[in-house]
Amino acid sequence: MDCDKCLERLYPFLDRELGETEVEEVKRHLAECPPCEGSFVLERAFLARIRDCCTSDVAPTALRERIILRFRSAD
Amino acid sequence: MAAERKPDAFEAEALSFLDALYRTALRMTRSEAEAEDLVQETYIRALRFRAQFTPGTNLKAWLFRILTNTFINQYRRRRARPETTELDDIEEGTLYRRMTGTGAASSSPDPEASLLDGTVDAEVKNALEELPEKFRTVVLLDVEGFAYKEIAKMLDIPIGTVMSRLHRGRKFLQKRLYDLARERGIAAVRAMPRPAD
Repeated sequence: MDCDKCLERLYPFLDRELGETEVEEVKRHLAECPPCEGSFVLERAFLARIRDCCTSDVAPTALRERIILRFRSAD
Repeated sequence: MAAERKPDAFEAEALSFLDALYRTALRMTRSEAEAEDLVQETYIRALRFRAQFTPGTNLKAWLFRILTNTFINQYRRRRARPETTELDDIEEGTLYRRMTGTGAASSSPDPEASLLDGTVDAEVKNALEELPEKFRTVVLLDVEGFAYKEIAKMLDIPIGTVMSRLHRGRKFLQKRLYDLARERGIAAVRAMPRPAD
């Protein structure tokens, strides 16, 4: 696998969307290619940053109570 | 008759996704009041159509499908302000190349410390909200852990479209966060040569 092919698979790899064979091919390339490895490390950190930031919000208590009431009064 | 009854398994599980639905709605509508309305409407529909849900299948995906459909059908049309629907061409090249400015390996790059740790949550959220809607929706559904296939099904678009929107959306976010970091004058970033636009 060359660098272009490896970088094309960057997001599918990090998103766990690649099949086993492709995962192994990517890993093999990363093990011997520091620039690609650097890209993957940084992109993984970026995705984690987006995820962490987005998943910290919680629903307002009043909304939760209104929805629970809906459930309780459903026919 | 609206007799009180005990919550069943469906309700308990549906409620466990309230925070996830709300934060996604918040980023979709960019308004706390609209997000609350959208989430409430999602649960009303879920209750109304619960007979259509097959127990044992993915309730979270089912609820998110209702959320995104409700948003697309109701809230988006109400929006008076037209929004851009496309992203300008974003230069290719990975974040790593952007951060190092070379694309070559350097001995001990620590760019994520300067860009990602220096970026506050509000900036990330603002950058997300600046994303045109079709890209934003895909990025948000990805953040909630859905697979490409599930997102494709929810939005009725091909998997290839999910992948390209996700890719372009992420590149847009990176560029925004990079520009913000640079504007703030984070020394490590400022010292780096800016990749060609």
